[in-house]
Amino acid sequence: MDTARPPDSAQTHTKTRSKHPLWRLVPLIQRNGRRFWGGMALINTGRLLEAFMPLCLKMGIDRMAAGDTRLAFPALAILGLMVLRYFSFNFGRRFVREVGVEVAFEMRQRLYWHLELMGPKFFAGFTTGDLMARAINDITLIRQMVGLGTRLLFVLGFSGIIAFIFMLNQSASLTLLLLPALPFIAIFGFVLANRIFTQSTIVQQGFSDLSAQVQENLNGIRTIQTHVQEAHEIRRLNDTSSRYASDYYRLMFSNSALNAGMLAITGFTTLLIVGFGGAQVIAGTISVGTFTAFIFYLGMMLSPVKEGGVMVTLFQRGGSAAARIFEILDHEPEIRDADDAAPLDTIGGSIKMRGLSYRHVGRGKEREGGWPALSDITLDIKPGEMIAVLGRVGSGKSTLLRLMVRLLDPAPGTIFLDGRDIRMLPLAQVRSQVTLVPQDPFLFATRLGHNISYDNPERAIEEVWEAAQSADLETTIRRFPERLETQVGERGVTLSGGQKQRASLARGLIRETPVLLLDDCFSSVDTETEEFILSRLKTLRAGRTTIMVSHRVSTARHAGRIIVLDQGRIAEMGTHQELLQRNGLYAALERAQGQREALTQTLEKSGAIEAEDAS
Amino acid sequence: MSGSKKDYSIFEDDIDIRKFDLKLIWRLTHWIAPYRKQMLIALGLVLLAASAAVLAPVVVSRVVVDGILLPASGTPAPDFGQKALTLWLHKVTGLQPLVAACGLYAVWILLWALFGHGFRIALASAVLRGLRDLRRDLFEHLEHLPSSFYDRVAVGRVMTRLTNDIETLFELLAGFGVLLGEFVPFFIAITIMLALNPALTFELLAILPLAAIATVIFRMVSGTVYRLIRSSMSRLNENLQENLSGIEVVQLYGREELNYETYSAINKENRDQENRAIKIESYYGPSMDSMAFIAIATIIWFGGHNVLSGTATLGSIILFAQFADMLFRPIVAMGDQWNVVFRAMASCERIFQALDWDEALKIPENPVPLPADLKGEVSFQHLDFAYVAGSPILKDVSFTIAPGEKVAIVGPTGSGKTSLIRLLCRFYDVAPQSILIDGIDIMDIAPGDIRRRIGVVLQDFHIFSGSVYDNIALGNPTITRADAERAAQLVHADGFISTLPQGYETQLIERGRNLSHGQRQLLAFARVLAMNPDILILDEATASVDTETELVIQDALKKVTAGRTSIIIAHRLQTIREADRIVVLTQGKIREIGSHEELMALGGTYKTLYELQVQDVTSM
Repeated sequence: MDTARPPDSAQTHTKTRSKHPLWRLVPLIQRNGRRFWGGMALINTGRLLEAFMPLCLKMGIDRMAAGDTRLAFPALAILGLMVLRYFSFNFGRRFVREVGVEVAFEMRQRLYWHLELMGPKFFAGFTTGDLMARAINDITLIRQMVGLGTRLLFVLGFSGIIAFIFMLNQSASLTLLLLPALPFIAIFGFVLANRIFTQSTIVQQGFSDLSAQVQENLNGIRTIQTHVQEAHEIRRLNDTSSRYASDYYRLMFSNSALNAGMLAITGFTTLLIVGFGGAQVIAGTISVGTFTAFIFYLGMMLSPVKEGGVMVTLFQRGGSAAARIFEILDHEPEIRDADDAAPLDTIGGSIKMRGLSYRHVGRGKEREGGWPALSDITLDIKPGEMIAVLGRVGSGKSTLLRLMVRLLDPAPGTIFLDGRDIRMLPLAQVRSQVTLVPQDPFLFATRLGHNISYDNPERAIEEVWEAAQSADLETTIRRFPERLETQVGERGVTLSGGQKQRASLARGLIRETPVLLLDDCFSSVDTETEEFILSRLKTLRAGRTTIMVSHRVSTARHAGRIIVLDQGRIAEMGTHQELLQRNGLYAALERAQGQREALTQTLEKSGAIEAEDAS
Repeated sequence: MSGSKKDYSIFEDDIDIRKFDLKLIWRLTHWIAPYRKQMLIALGLVLLAASAAVLAPVVVSRVVVDGILLPASGTPAPDFGQKALTLWLHKVTGLQPLVAACGLYAVWILLWALFGHGFRIALASAVLRGLRDLRRDLFEHLEHLPSSFYDRVAVGRVMTRLTNDIETLFELLAGFGVLLGEFVPFFIAITIMLALNPALTFELLAILPLAAIATVIFRMVSGTVYRLIRSSMSRLNENLQENLSGIEVVQLYGREELNYETYSAINKENRDQENRAIKIESYYGPSMDSMAFIAIATIIWFGGHNVLSGTATLGSIILFAQFADMLFRPIVAMGDQWNVVFRAMASCERIFQALDWDEALKIPENPVPLPADLKGEVSFQHLDFAYVAGSPILKDVSFTIAPGEKVAIVGPTGSGKTSLIRLLCRFYDVAPQSILIDGIDIMDIAPGDIRRRIGVVLQDFHIFSGSVYDNIALGNPTITRADAERAAQLVHADGFISTLPQGYETQLIERGRNLSHGQRQLLAFARVLAMNPDILILDEATASVDTETELVIQDALKKVTAGRTSIIIAHRLQTIREADRIVVLTQGKIREIGSHEELMALGGTYKTLYELQVQDVTSM
């Protein structure tokens, strides 16, 4: 399937959860079943062709021993076998590996689309690093299992059988001699392979511990140097590093022992052939050629056994990788369209809240209870209003905004947009009509212009400039040599906190949606700029609904109505003047902040004056 | 001094080495050298193992086939003492010659397995220990690089040198062992073959260039594809990472489908490249094991005629057939190691880049120890400072803090407050005689000595994963649990700590993300008090701490600064008024300095400021 169309989300979580993760990969392989089984058939044909080589060798040797000069036939037959075998293997291996790549491709597609649909509860449980590790390492492991592990599995079985049949055909008694050795090989191989698997898990864990320790140390290097803990940290890292080295050594030891043991066992099996086969040659029951052919068949039967350890590891790792991927895919989207959701034709921007409450999910043991973020909020917002929401840290301001765009899901019948329960509207419509500019001004590592027109890359450049101007970012952009084409992020310019915030604001403003929600978007912007942006915003948003969350009284002053939240409840509501007169929470916040703001402003001004004096 | 012209951008560059540079790899021997005993043992063992590996088939072909099964055939050819050994075994033990030969064969197999195992583990032991030492040296170096380095270079760029890059070197050195394990038997086998039948050996060696050419062509063709795969893979990961970091924006702005399309396009590109690489590999891989077939056909044809003409024994032909496989393995192994070698050279380059980075604080040769009973006088004398030459941060700052005095520094963002503190803590070099503690120039004191006596709560403090106690004691064994608890009580942190599931033993996750910001700050505070510093510095972080926590911190502040030389960067009028003296800093210069009363009398910035706030408060 080559379409870039997102897979049907219902398909991404199958109802086969109880099945072993490996079984759940089977349908993916079966989608390319013809290529997969065709490849397998070709590989095993190659193996079968290989089995004829010792026969040619036998013929050659027997003819040599008999003084027969007709050696061209065996020599040419071997070359002929080689050519056929070459193409069997070439295409067979290629087909099987391509299926591995295809499965990996498909898994990536599904995983990506699935992650696009996940909500905040999901992302609270899985860190970006963890998800990245799954997307990169686990999918690679699955690819290796499908592309190589399955091949080794089938070859192991088939080669053994072929070699056995051919040997039986040559000398039944010699073949039966080998039987007692086989269980030893199997037991030894599987015991060590298991041990290697455990040890390599320890080594991998050791490596991530080491990385975590190094990372944490370097992130906190200032604290470490301040507290003169360098020596202690070096000791600690040396301990981890030495433990890692000795774990690794144990793994290498087992690996090498598996090698040596397999060598010894196969060597001793050959010994049986040399001894008993030799005796049979002397007795005249078999020829020297048969004797030689036997030694080659033995190698053919045992070489896949030597790779048995690799195969087991591939399957074990692939299995746990598949489990980790399906663990993600099994999470159903927390927030999705209701079955009977229907869009509204136009959105005017009136918002109604009726007894809105919300509890945050707790972590770990307290997951059941959680703690209340909002309690019983009832509120009516008319289209075109400009509202400020104020309150202390943790009073529920951000939660309120996030509920309005369904980043968190409100209870049914608690939030209404233009009179319709927002849960009955398609998610896409809510989010295209209600814009939330989040608290954290996240910018993508792309061009600045693309960041601003993020919702629709097709926007006209004039629109982008206009939005930039509204967010007071225009002059900043004009200072960059590449203007809107300026690359931001790790490989480009590093923007200051205030610049990022304004870019994020521009990204929200450009959408001109009926409802705009600003979550503390001025915290890194100085007051003067904030004044400028807010006054522009008033004209820009005239007739449209705007709700601003802030912890600054200076921001709130601009709003037509101010709502003060305290412990998840509406504590006060009214205009700036009304609330000051009330002398409640708002007035107290105003006093506390007034001090700090005045201090900063005065100092900034005096600094500016001095700078002017100096110049 | 500061502002040295160092090119930090080398840490950002992607290193892609295409030319073979042995010097890079040679430098690694410095870390392997201490384990040369193991390396020599490994070398000895690989020779022994290879000899045993080659002698085992000699027993089968020359002794069993030529000597026992077909005693009449062929001319006398070298058997490397194997016949004599078998005969000796036969005489000593009285076993039949065939059984004796089998016994000898068993001995060689056993020795091959044992010596081979010994070789691999001796090599692993030397390499793992050598790289562990390299990691230690690099870490030690990084741990002592000054702040000016970490100001400029992203931690992630440094970190991978200690982890992934060293891991790549392990691959390289392990691969070196693999090569050794293939080449040594190869040469021994060639020697034996030359001794047995030089003509046939040369005929077989003629096939080698074929394999070599195939390998070179494969490398050339696949090199580009591999590079493309690496690039599309990293774009794929970058795309996903960005999408995950910005998932909220993605969902809020309805970009899910568009992003999915972009990702799909890269994913497809990557799949097609992978398939191209597979195609190339599928042509190459089976061609290498086809070489053995060509060799066997050659042996039957040419060797067979030698047997018929009596110039070769049948046994030696069987021996050649057994060696056929061994001839091509070194070439295959070399092909396999090719990529590793180039990746390892890039890793070496990165590691040595960091290791050779010679940025360091000026450490006095004969440091003056700070007295045990430090009075705590801090004096700044005409202090100038710039992180980057040409943009000064501090200009001619002079003032003295008397022992036990409490000084508040006020100033807008960027005025140099934090820099002043970082200089005092000796994170940077300063001009001689510009900062003095108890009259001693800080440039004459060991930086560690200074930092042990100054307790500083930085704005960007770090909470480590580990217990609450670990985070207060920070590895200092002299800070007992009781000390830690006392310090926590002092800053009112004991309240929240006692509500944690395991109190002081509660494990915190990295950066203390399972605590609130205020709680983290209290912990950082307690950590500094636990070391009972002679001089206390607080860089008050006020960004998003709620008012209640702030009040708690203020209260704690009053207690711990009593009688101790303290420097406080403050925003709150309350804190500022309580200081003995106030320094108003703007644009790196001291604008006003004096007690609250003095500054009020002066009628400058501070007075304006104060009146503004008082007015604000009384107007309520």
